[in-house]
Amino acid sequence: MRKVLMVIRREYLQSVTKKSFWIGTLAFPLVLMLIFGLVILAHVVNPETQRKISFIDETGSLAANMTEALASQEEGVLSDGKPAFVVESIPLTGTVEQTRQGLEQRVLDEEIHGILVARQDLDPNQGFGLYLKSVGDEDTGRTLRRALQSAVVQLRLERSEIDLDRGTLDAFVQPIALKSFEVKAGGGATEKNPAVAQIGMLGFSMILYIVLFFYGFAVARGIIQEKSGRVMEVLLGSMTPNQLITGKILGVAAVSLTQMIVYAGTAWAARIYIMLKQDPEQFRSILELVAPARLLLFLLFVLLGYFLYTSLFAIVGAVSSTEQDAQNFQTPLVMMLMIPYVMSVFFVKHPDSPAAVAASFFPPFTPMVMFMRISVLTPPVWQIALSIALMLVAIYFTFRLAAKIFRIGSLMHGKRPTLPEIVRWARS
Amino acid sequence: MTTAVSLVNLTKTFGEHRAVDGLSFDVPAGSIFGLLGRNGAGKTTTIRMIMDILRPDSGTVAILGGAAGGDVLKDRVGYLPEERGLYPKMKLADMLEFAGSIKGLAVPEARRRGIAWLDRLELGPWKDKKVEDLSKGMQQKVQFIGAIMSKPDLLILDEPFSGMDPVNQEIFKDLILELNREGCTIIFSTHVMDSAEKLCREIALINHGQAVLKGTIGEIKKKFGTNTVALEFDGDGSFLGGLPGVEKVHHGGQTAEVRLAQGADTQALLRAAMQKLVIRHFSVVTPTLHSIFIQQVGSEQGGNGNA
Repeated sequence: MRKVLMVIRREYLQSVTKKSFWIGTLAFPLVLMLIFGLVILAHVVNPETQRKISFIDETGSLAANMTEALASQEEGVLSDGKPAFVVESIPLTGTVEQTRQGLEQRVLDEEIHGILVARQDLDPNQGFGLYLKSVGDEDTGRTLRRALQSAVVQLRLERSEIDLDRGTLDAFVQPIALKSFEVKAGGGATEKNPAVAQIGMLGFSMILYIVLFFYGFAVARGIIQEKSGRVMEVLLGSMTPNQLITGKILGVAAVSLTQMIVYAGTAWAARIYIMLKQDPEQFRSILELVAPARLLLFLLFVLLGYFLYTSLFAIVGAVSSTEQDAQNFQTPLVMMLMIPYVMSVFFVKHPDSPAAVAASFFPPFTPMVMFMRISVLTPPVWQIALSIALMLVAIYFTFRLAAKIFRIGSLMHGKRPTLPEIVRWARS
Repeated sequence: MTTAVSLVNLTKTFGEHRAVDGLSFDVPAGSIFGLLGRNGAGKTTTIRMIMDILRPDSGTVAILGGAAGGDVLKDRVGYLPEERGLYPKMKLADMLEFAGSIKGLAVPEARRRGIAWLDRLELGPWKDKKVEDLSKGMQQKVQFIGAIMSKPDLLILDEPFSGMDPVNQEIFKDLILELNREGCTIIFSTHVMDSAEKLCREIALINHGQAVLKGTIGEIKKKFGTNTVALEFDGDGSFLGGLPGVEKVHHGGQTAEVRLAQGADTQALLRAAMQKLVIRHFSVVTPTLHSIFIQQVGSEQGGNGNA
């Protein structure tokens, strides 16, 4: 045990006392901040302005209704209370087509933001059109569509024989806000912003992916350096292969934990800033995302995944003589990490599907898939427990296998072993 | 006399290649023991089994009264592998602190001893330099300190003098003798017979993983002794091998070591030699370990590389 501690100590001190470690550690949040800064800057440089929409309205009465509908929508009002869109009705000059073509140059010159067209017949498929310089601005399309929808409903009601007063009519066409809630096994449901839940899930799986891959490869690289630097034999003269790889894996874990603490500290500073300067209610979804229970589960899965993958990467290191060898041998590991990542789009939409459940019980996929499932729904406790148990079993056997292969592979140089040779080492 | 290391019927096979084949020998406690053999004879594999780095297929290893392996036992054995290795990015003092700490020394004690040794071997001013900034000779010193700083009871040196300049060789030879005087048993593995002959009292000569000669150097030399003649001369000595009764000649330019067949007359050889050469020196000698080595294993050519 003392020898394991000494290996951890060396591994840790050698990394943490390096300048490059701290530069790398601090660079990551700084780069993130820079990105956020750029996003904010983009908004500042491009301040919100009123947008002019020219409305070619054959019916003659939709434009007024639309202005009203826009005013009742959150997206239709700027932060200073002014309407976000100014809808001006354009009188027909000739046909609708001719009128529109006459306006197109003004769109290109950015005098007006867009042209909206509505036909007399209100045909649901052919009756409407929105002409913009760039259709990439999805928000404008969505806001105008919703406003136009209620304006059209209003017009249809007016055209029908039903006699309604203004107030009732407005109440009929009032758009609704559909909120999302997550049903909890213990009873009670919490409101969730699906976008935040998904972004959070994505963020967490990014961290997971980076930790598993980056530090896993660090273990492999360390072993290769000890082999190529011929330190290995000195080490093995002083301790067993088990002690050595245990020390290496735990040492690199301690280094990564240090980095995590730095990041967590940064995140907490941001959290305190939000609490002090902003309205916490506005950030409820985000605060819930970093709730202690969820963070603990996340940490647990990161750790389990870490030990499984570093053991696998230790095997990669033991059978490689150069980093190029390691690049080749690690391919299956990268695949195992990538598959759940690629499948995440499906798993997030169908977290309870048989495929997702099965994937969450396959140890190499468990950390990614199980955490994904926990992010978007609360799986039965037995499923979480079983996946953790299976992970522990897999870690135990992988570690033993790694130690065995390590015992022989650690002193091999030069020629890359073939797969049958590696299997023979594992059996010996 | 107690034994420090005892190997019984040790066998190790790599694939088709039998590196060590039924090897048995005892290393007396407190001795300097030579493990001799050509490259690929199985020396390093044997050492790795003594160090519990490799497990034997069959046979037993007992060191310092216990089975190989175990933390405490490994702490009592110092090992200088043939292939030298240090962490290139580590500072000297840190490197030695680590080397000592994995041999059971407390961290501050390991650091103190490491620095003391650096001072003694005139590396003190470099203690905060990185290993990679040192010359090869300096690195050899650091490596050696790492092997001996924990005051081991058994020290295994695998080709310790290879690639070493004469000054360092002398320093290390003195250190080895000093350690031995303090009670450390030393196993000295080499294919350079001269240095083995100077240092060792007892040897095992292995070839193809088997011991072909075992015993004290004195006994061995006596066994091979009476029929070797050393000659120094002026002239071309190449005809010596063709003389009657001559079994083998090791030519050395203006010297030659001639091994005669059993019962051959040394004076007849002198007479024959005098006819063609100016003899400056003639003596009946015990053979050098080098010639015994060549006689025992040199008949076949080629090696198997380093197993």
